[in-house]
Amino acid sequence: MNNFAATIPILIVALSAIAAMLAEAFRQPGERMPIAGLGLIGLAGAAIASCFLWDTDAQSFGVVRADNFALFINLILCTIGILTMVFSVDVVEREELPEGEYYALTLFAISGMMLMAAATDLLVIFLALEVLSLAVYVLTAIRRSSVAAAEAGFKYFLLGSLSSAFFLYGIAFAFAIAGSTRLDQIGTEMASGPSATLALLSVGLLAVGFAFKVSAVPFHMWTPDAYEGAPTIVTAFMSTGVKAAAFAAFVRVFLSTLEPLQSNWVPILSAIAAVTMIVGTVVGVLQSNIKRMLAYSSIAHAGYLLLGIIAANSSGKAAVLFYLLAYAVANLGALGIVALLGTADRPHDQLRDFAGLWSTRPGLAALMTVFLLSLGGFPPTAGFIAKWYIFAAAVQEGHYTLTIIAVLSSVVSVFFYLRIVVMMYMTEEPAAQPRPRVSVPAMAGLAFAMLATFYLGVLPTRVIDYALQSIQTIF
Amino acid sequence: MLSLIVFLPLAGALVVLLAGGRGDRPERESIVKGLALAVSVVTFLATLYLWWRFDPLNADFQFIENRPWLPQFGIAYHLGVDGISLFLIVLTGFLTPLAMMSSWSVHKSVKLFSFFLLALETAMLGVFVSLDLFLFYVFWDAMLIPMYFLIGIWGYERRIYAAVKFILYTMAGSVLMLVAIIGLAYAHSAATGQPSFNLLDLYGVRLSDTVETWFFLAFTVAFAIKVPLFPFHTWLPDAHVEAPTAGSVILAGVLLKMGTYGLLRFSFPLFPHAAAEWAPVLAVLAVIGIIYGALVAMVQPDLKKLVAYSSVSHLGFVVLGLCSSTVNGVQGAVYQMLNHGVSTGGLFMVVGMLSDRRHTRLISEFGGLKAVVPRLVAAFLLITLSSIALPGMNGFIGEFLILLGAFRWHPRLAALAATGVILSAVYMLWMFQRVNYGEVTNEKNRRLPDLSPREWALMVPTVAAAILMGVLPGVFLRPMEPSVVRTLDRINSAPASRTENRLGPSNLGSRTPDLAPRTKGRSPRSGATSHE
Repeated sequence: MNNFAATIPILIVALSAIAAMLAEAFRQPGERMPIAGLGLIGLAGAAIASCFLWDTDAQSFGVVRADNFALFINLILCTIGILTMVFSVDVVEREELPEGEYYALTLFAISGMMLMAAATDLLVIFLALEVLSLAVYVLTAIRRSSVAAAEAGFKYFLLGSLSSAFFLYGIAFAFAIAGSTRLDQIGTEMASGPSATLALLSVGLLAVGFAFKVSAVPFHMWTPDAYEGAPTIVTAFMSTGVKAAAFAAFVRVFLSTLEPLQSNWVPILSAIAAVTMIVGTVVGVLQSNIKRMLAYSSIAHAGYLLLGIIAANSSGKAAVLFYLLAYAVANLGALGIVALLGTADRPHDQLRDFAGLWSTRPGLAALMTVFLLSLGGFPPTAGFIAKWYIFAAAVQEGHYTLTIIAVLSSVVSVFFYLRIVVMMYMTEEPAAQPRPRVSVPAMAGLAFAMLATFYLGVLPTRVIDYALQSIQTIF
Repeated sequence: MLSLIVFLPLAGALVVLLAGGRGDRPERESIVKGLALAVSVVTFLATLYLWWRFDPLNADFQFIENRPWLPQFGIAYHLGVDGISLFLIVLTGFLTPLAMMSSWSVHKSVKLFSFFLLALETAMLGVFVSLDLFLFYVFWDAMLIPMYFLIGIWGYERRIYAAVKFILYTMAGSVLMLVAIIGLAYAHSAATGQPSFNLLDLYGVRLSDTVETWFFLAFTVAFAIKVPLFPFHTWLPDAHVEAPTAGSVILAGVLLKMGTYGLLRFSFPLFPHAAAEWAPVLAVLAVIGIIYGALVAMVQPDLKKLVAYSSVSHLGFVVLGLCSSTVNGVQGAVYQMLNHGVSTGGLFMVVGMLSDRRHTRLISEFGGLKAVVPRLVAAFLLITLSSIALPGMNGFIGEFLILLGAFRWHPRLAALAATGVILSAVYMLWMFQRVNYGEVTNEKNRRLPDLSPREWALMVPTVAAAILMGVLPGVFLRPMEPSVVRTLDRINSAPASRTENRLGPSNLGSRTPDLAPRTKGRSPRSGATSHE
């Protein structure tokens, strides 16, 4: 009976996704239905279920394990999902996205992400990866009439499939070594000194697969196009959710199963991390489209997160979790504002669209500033503590060079975050442009994200404690 | 007590932001300004109360507050004040209301302006009272944001460039310091098994030579950019010139002091050995800064730029005094920090008044002002004299002590630095003459109004402070002395224990005479080279 326990949060989200689809099926054309509400109920339920499962270390079918690590990621994903839902209400209606499909796909993607974080079998991880990827591919291209969206979706799909192939190939080699796809068995085999070639091939291919999903350089090519072409709210969702899920699996596979081979993969990942941070920030400086800019910023953030994996100590693992949370609220907030200001015919995603925002919408400008400062890593926001935590973990292991690259690239990144601030506060608006109103729930969501940003920045102790508890199972 | 002082302005800032509803209607403007001014005045009174309660004979940190913040990493909310930081806190409290008043002519979104100014005050006070390196860094970095907005929104023509340059320049230096801070905390953890960011714990950490040098450089570059020490000074003229008057006053008055404060509180005592080794280099850079700043100031056509470059020169003296590691030199340096805050802050206020009246800051646009606005010129004269260190004014005490200390350490450098005193008289008096004496050459200057009551309220405290500090230096120097001596003990005694560690006791014996108290400030090794 207890066999199901670990999958309960995932099932709740999947059920709400099915409910959303059913609701859409029964909807009369033109009738308004609070489908987002269904999603909110499901996500809240999943969050509560995750809280109840805390410390129980429930396992289902031997391949899904709701340890504290998975549950922490679940809570991050629920936060992401709830914020996305809240922002979507405005956006979906205004941009005339197909309502039922949109919510159902988002919820299915979240259930895939949760499964990915909890899976303890490479094949299940792959399954989860496909569930979430397929949903996100479709979401990217959900604006059927838009050429850019179609291009983005197609590009994302092709490159994503390629990375899935790599990943699958890596699983095959792991199976060749261990005779199983279970993470614990592979871990045992890896520790006992397997054939070096096979092991390296397996590690390398898995790393490539993950690197695609977290958009690390040189596997980042799809990111700017997909982020730019997708509806902004989808960009907000996938830049945080996919990253959280992929990093969760990345940490679990590399820091528990493949930990014995650490000396092999640390140099590879170090090189990837360094290039990722540099390319993400330097190319980000050149962008004039905010979504592309934040796409490159998300690449750079992937680099910082990799630093936590490279450090491979308990601080590093906990730091990755904390960072994912801090990044999720700040990035969702920032992209959420972009989405909320956009309309179907005017996406409001160019830098100059933000000129003079502060004089017409001081509240939104202030919120945007807080999120950007958090992404840039300024105290007293969450981003500062998160960056500091990652850097501390890396310094603790003596990775000084990487840390110095990281801090300097974060200075460069401040430059482009501030470009938006300059636009909002210090540039006059050429002509008063109508900007859509922001509904109360969306405003509440933004306010929540801001409070979370400050809470994590000023009083992070409790969350760090939870993060430290979470990673005890993945040694 | 300290928390109250630090966060009072921030609380006031939030009240200001919420008060008065949306938008900037003119009738609300004076309420907002008045409220912000009241908050800053109350904060100033609180800092005076702090001074009154301060025990001047005690070298320890006082008014300690120590609560765990991130106990997992040994990070605490740890505040305290000693004789060095005490006066910088009072200075911050003193200058913020003045800056507030000096920007009475700001009419663009006054609410936000007051908010940022008060938030900035919290961050500045926080920097001076933090005894935990992590907390210090939080305040240090947080301070950049309000200053960035002050320059960027309310500045002059090239404000955006100046604001971005300011923030990137400062950050580039300080992130490396962050790495060093983390490294230091883990060095403590390697020694004791427990990471700690507590400054007092970290004073005792021993590092290998290379690591110490790297960490020292990381800290020192961050502070040197802030000071700014030549050749890291290029952000300063831009930021100063483009900032609104309040921004310039705070920037010159307080922000630059954070650099020198950081050197004295962190760089030197945390890494005494590396500091001793590098002190001559820093001192040479400081002397270059003194002379270079003065020469460049001399040829500036713009009043604000002139004052900005004079800051480079004056702060060179402070760094020189710190490098001398003598009681006189360091006391003079701290005193000069305060002087510079008062006199340069005052100069920027005067320039602000002139530029409010004429909307230009070019020296050539003025001339013969003495006949038109005698009272303003009188105040201008007193502040100018204080800036060029006339005996009887505050600047004299500071520069004299610095040169005294520096002379005992390194006569040649001191002699070179002394030319800076003369040069400063040259450029300041020449500027003063061109602006205020002679015939009124420009017709626009004929009908300028003299000091308004608000400007009286700005000038009187500034001039009074300048004279008071010149006449009664003991009031300030006495509470400072125990802490300065304590800090110097940290700087100067550490090389001995390190030497013992590295070379063994037998070597130490032969070296001891070199390390006789108060003559040194350098390890045996660098002492030998610097005497050549």
